[in-house]
Amino acid sequence: MSTLVITLLTVVLCAGILIGGLLAVILNNMVSAVISAGLASLFASVVYVVLAAPDVAMTEASIGSGLSTMIFLYAIRKTQKIDSEDDE
Amino acid sequence: MIDLGMTEITIVISSVLIFFSIVFGIVRLVIGPETVDRVVAIDLLTIVTIALIALLAHQAERYIYLDVALVYGLLSFLGVLAVARYLEKGI
Repeated sequence: MSTLVITLLTVVLCAGILIGGLLAVILNNMVSAVISAGLASLFASVVYVVLAAPDVAMTEASIGSGLSTMIFLYAIRKTQKIDSEDDE
Repeated sequence: MIDLGMTEITIVISSVLIFFSIVFGIVRLVIGPETVDRVVAIDLLTIVTIALIALLAHQAERYIYLDVALVYGLLSFLGVLAVARYLEKGI
């Protein structure tokens, strides 16, 4: 019974990965797209735990969800400054 | 009727609650009109994910999985903090 429920939760997590990737492509706001990519990384980490790979999940949690979001935001900040100077 | 122990009942109830939390969080992340709504949704999903990893650790009877939940609990504030600093023209 609990195995069935865990399987259903895994299906929901995989659907969440798909939704996060689609939103990261579709959304026009850059910060929202970065957050959606973070959602895909978050759920991928849980799927790694389901697949019995806790070390991969830990690396994905620290790098994919934490570090890459900060680096993306830093890059967006740096490039938007250049874009606004070009517009003016 | 399947014979369910107390532990099974607890796992099933908490799984259903986590399921609905994930679904509503994803709905808010999809329809959220502004960036701040999406930040709050991703924070909610991180916290629900920590509970889900703890549940998986109990269900698989491998308590090394709790380390992943620990790393998530330590790092969950970082993304939200970075976005908050970005929205306030900082970083």
